[in-house]
Amino acid sequence: MTIHPLRPSDAPTPRPVQERPDTASAYDSTWTEQPVAQAPEGLDRIMGQGGKIYVVLAVVLLIWIGLVTVLFRTDRKIDRLERRLDRHISEDE
Amino acid sequence: MSSSSQTALPVNRRLYRGVRGLVVVVLTGVIIAGFVGEIPQLDILEQSARNLYFHVPMWFSLMAATIVSAYHSAHYLRRGNRVRDLRAREAARIALIFGGLGIVTGMVWARFTWYEGTGVWWNFDPKQSMAAVLLLIYGGYFVLRDAIDAPEARGRIAAVYNLFAVVTMPFLLYILPRQMPSLHPGGEGSPAFSQTDLAPAMRWVFYPSVLAFLGLAWLLYTQRVRLSWLREGLAAPASSAPVDGEQDGEL
Repeated sequence: MTIHPLRPSDAPTPRPVQERPDTASAYDSTWTEQPVAQAPEGLDRIMGQGGKIYVVLAVVLLIWIGLVTVLFRTDRKIDRLERRLDRHISEDE
Repeated sequence: MSSSSQTALPVNRRLYRGVRGLVVVVLTGVIIAGFVGEIPQLDILEQSARNLYFHVPMWFSLMAATIVSAYHSAHYLRRGNRVRDLRAREAARIALIFGGLGIVTGMVWARFTWYEGTGVWWNFDPKQSMAAVLLLIYGGYFVLRDAIDAPEARGRIAAVYNLFAVVTMPFLLYILPRQMPSLHPGGEGSPAFSQTDLAPAMRWVFYPSVLAFLGLAWLLYTQRVRLSWLREGLAAPASSAPVDGEQDGEL
């Protein structure tokens, strides 16, 4: 690999004016020649549907489950503290 | 007093657990249906119309929280019960959190939908700007609280401020933005009662979503109230522990 240092005299090459909406296709990198693959099985078949939206759904659901876990654990801690404080109060009276 | 201190917890545990279960079930369903449910195909909006399920409930939660906060501030002014001050403060905090999320989600939505390709994150849409003003007003509530050391005076002055703050809420979120051209619906009349504004299939996700996010806001608010109640109780144990003589489990 050769490295071409940028000389200060070099005028920066102006970026070609890109036309929309064809810009995105210039970056396309899907395989044009598909190998003869078997139809995806099981989980792969489900997750690949609808432009892989289910993958996003799975990620969001995992985050949601994590947040709910935090909610429940915090509740348990508060419950325990409340019971302790309650006992303190009734002992004092 | 001795009997009431046993039941003086700031929440009815059974109610809390019930709401928590419902919120978890409904919000999980809303997320699934929100991603894979049918929506009308619209220009510009395209799939981003699904944001309706998540962005709009933030604002409903903010409105509910500000009203709850003002309600407790009014009670605090009448009776001077410390728990009311705690409740007003925590409700205002939840309002700020949901409002912040609403602003940020709205910015992202607009940036890549209506302002796509312009690089504009903030376009001074009337509703957006007014919502930001409202958040600043509620931010001022906390600045005011932090500026006063004596708990009694702090509670009283903050409660009065809070009552003025809540009055601005409907003007800033409803009345003024609807007098101006805006991305938000409402300029042509109330979208809430329009039969054509929202596809029936989307109503089945949107309404549960609003209710579930209101429930979630209530859960977070109640958690914080319980925590600050514990802190107060530990600071002033026994007879001076905060006791709300009125019904438990109230908002």
